[in-house]
Amino acid sequence: MTRSLKSRLSTWAVWLFLAVVLGFLYLPLFPPAIHSLQGPAVQEGGIWANYRAIADDPILVGGIWNTLLIGVLVALVTPLLSLLIAQALRAWKKPRLILGLVLLPLFIPGVSMGVATALFFRILGVDPSLLTMAMVQVLWALPFSTLVILTVMANFDDVYLEAAHMLGANRLQAFFEIELPQVYQGILGGGIFALILSFNETIRTSIVQGGENTVQTYLWSQYQQIGLNPTLFALMTLLIGLTLVLVALMAVLEMRQARMRRAG
Amino acid sequence: MTVLRRSNLLRLVVLGAPLVLVAAMILGPLAIMAAVSFWKKTGLTMKPAFTLDAYATFLGGVRFTVFLRSFWMAVSSTVIMLLIAYPVAYAVARKVRPDLTRAVLFLFSVPFLVNYILRTFSWADILGRAGAVNDALTGLGLIDAPLNWLLFSEFAIYLGLVTAYMPFMIFPIWLSLSGIDRRMQEASWMLGEGPMRTFLRVTLPLSLPGVFAAAIFGFVGAFGEFAVSSILGGTGYQLMGNSIVSALNVINYPLAAAMSSFSVLIMFGLLLAWFRLFDLRLFLGKIMGRS
Repeated sequence: MTRSLKSRLSTWAVWLFLAVVLGFLYLPLFPPAIHSLQGPAVQEGGIWANYRAIADDPILVGGIWNTLLIGVLVALVTPLLSLLIAQALRAWKKPRLILGLVLLPLFIPGVSMGVATALFFRILGVDPSLLTMAMVQVLWALPFSTLVILTVMANFDDVYLEAAHMLGANRLQAFFEIELPQVYQGILGGGIFALILSFNETIRTSIVQGGENTVQTYLWSQYQQIGLNPTLFALMTLLIGLTLVLVALMAVLEMRQARMRRAG
Repeated sequence: MTVLRRSNLLRLVVLGAPLVLVAAMILGPLAIMAAVSFWKKTGLTMKPAFTLDAYATFLGGVRFTVFLRSFWMAVSSTVIMLLIAYPVAYAVARKVRPDLTRAVLFLFSVPFLVNYILRTFSWADILGRAGAVNDALTGLGLIDAPLNWLLFSEFAIYLGLVTAYMPFMIFPIWLSLSGIDRRMQEASWMLGEGPMRTFLRVTLPLSLPGVFAAAIFGFVGAFGEFAVSSILGGTGYQLMGNSIVSALNVINYPLAAAMSSFSVLIMFGLLLAWFRLFDLRLFLGKIMGRS
């Protein structure tokens, strides 16, 4: 009797601990939303006034377009690159070397990587543009996206590929008709992951931004120059909301995969 | 035969080209940065040379104090992060029902995906003199005047760093904890060791590869930090990231490159230690399944 009470208490203590840590992590997601519904504009123009003000600011609208453009580019390129790297990893069996290279950006401080890439472009004579911004983001998203795809590929049994070869399929056919249908959700997941990281990247991008802005680099430069205002809080709220939606989408994909694995 | 060879060549190109590209895009910038750190600053630009001027400026001036502060803040905050991340990872690996594991890990990863700069803005808001914490404390009658040390203090920096980088540290620790063969612990129990000594002598040592990986993540993040320090540290408070950005702002590229290279060198040292000290097959195997 006392034993079961003790074990139940310890279970409660564990969950309480996890809940407190989670509380600390989730708390900072709320203040921007609260501030976005306050301020002088709201008293005059209604509850969504700060959100409408975003559309009236051409710099912000430009920044949003840049963010979306770069985001889509990063979300398309990164998973494809990851897929090819994962395939090379399986084909050539040099996991330490290849994985070490791809994961390297995780271990380099963002400022240092930004400085290095900026000097690289400068010396090669490449002018800062949306493309250079997208490139640094692809490199930043690559380790995460590659890990996502590798875990999915780990659940795919190579025996199917051998079977396809024996039945006369060439490598491309085997890949497109047998493997791809099994791993495409991982590729999709890697793409969404890359999109999330792109929308939430500041420092690497800002060092190679040149004259263009993304929403994140704009927020950061505004903070440093004049401080934040309710319109910027509205923008942050949208970014946080969009990120949460994308995360939910990733979770749905993940659950479907898990169900497929159980069924298969 | 020729068909086979051609398809092999195609495969080499299709799989090799992206790797070469990625290697060039990661190692190229690092190499150029290392080279530029030995260049000479001339007015608004720089010219190739081999001089240690930039390193002398860095190591001999006020920027070295920033380096020492960064190093200390990174070490101490990494210890704090480990003290939180380890129990979390342990609870997830051992105490949480297996069917809930993924969900709980997922919950911990969500805030990490929101730009930590936005989250740090929020902390400035919550901790300020008119912020939620001071409001609540004065409202409850616990304090008479708002606490000043909540914001623009080392406490605030630690809080910002921990919430920024700790979530990511849970995964490597969880990965190595969940890879431990349970029979090792059972063996320890059967040989008469208590739970505490079993943990200290069996579980903890076996989880060290993950702990060290997590420590590198935390350390690298905190060491190169620029946002948390400028938002929560108050006027003039600098960490390594701020110092590098300020060198960029005065267009001293060799200096920025020297400081960055120095940071990257420290990180390489840590990575090398990780590779040498631990058997990472368990770690890689977990990520890549059977192969």
